[in-house]
Amino acid sequence: MTPSESAQLKNRIRRLRFDHGEITQQELADRVGVARQTIIALEAGKYAPSLLLAFRLAAAFGVKTEDVFQWESE
Amino acid sequence: MKDSIPLAPLQRYAWFNLIVFATTVALYVVAVPALAWYFHRTLAAAALPSLGLFGLCGIWGFGSYFFYDRRRRAIVKLDERENSIYLRAGTIGFAVSLQVFVFLCMGVWAVWSYGYHRTTIPVGFLPFLVFLAGAVVWVTQSIAILVQYKRSAADDAL
Repeated sequence: MTPSESAQLKNRIRRLRFDHGEITQQELADRVGVARQTIIALEAGKYAPSLLLAFRLAAAFGVKTEDVFQWESE
Repeated sequence: MKDSIPLAPLQRYAWFNLIVFATTVALYVVAVPALAWYFHRTLAAAALPSLGLFGLCGIWGFGSYFFYDRRRRAIVKLDERENSIYLRAGTIGFAVSLQVFVFLCMGVWAVWSYGYHRTTIPVGFLPFLVFLAGAVVWVTQSIAILVQYKRSAADDAL
């Protein structure tokens, strides 16, 4: 995925973290089994996750995948 | 409030490789004049045996222990993003290394052949070139790992 394509993929991870009891990046990282740096990169929109990680993140928040990630077409 | 982010195992691995290499180079720079003074030789004559110090780079082999978690008694698994960083860095490292290796192989032979009019190069060049190629892989890979982590790090890590 190119950087411009990655920029089109928006996510609400930070918003969802605060909506779910202000869980920290480290706690979320532990729940989904990735490094904290990966959560940081995701929140900054600098990394597009695999489908599997997207589903794991949605499951961690108890929401649908489309509630976490949105694709903004140009 | 910003807090400090502990280094990921892959970052520690990269820093370890760079520190080992930098320390070895520093020791070499100190060793050349020291050996020249001690054995009453010229700097050029002391430079060659001092290259043996680069054997310290064998410590790189211990870098894999950064992927070992003592508490869990298991190898730390890299996540999907870290795996891609590692693979990309490795590809860059090998690509740069191959270019340096091929360039030096042919370059040394050309200088030796045309400059000194000899048809063979000293056999001592071969292990040196192989080491240099390996060093380029490790150092380039480590730099590429750190650059990729830095590029994707957010300033506002809450």
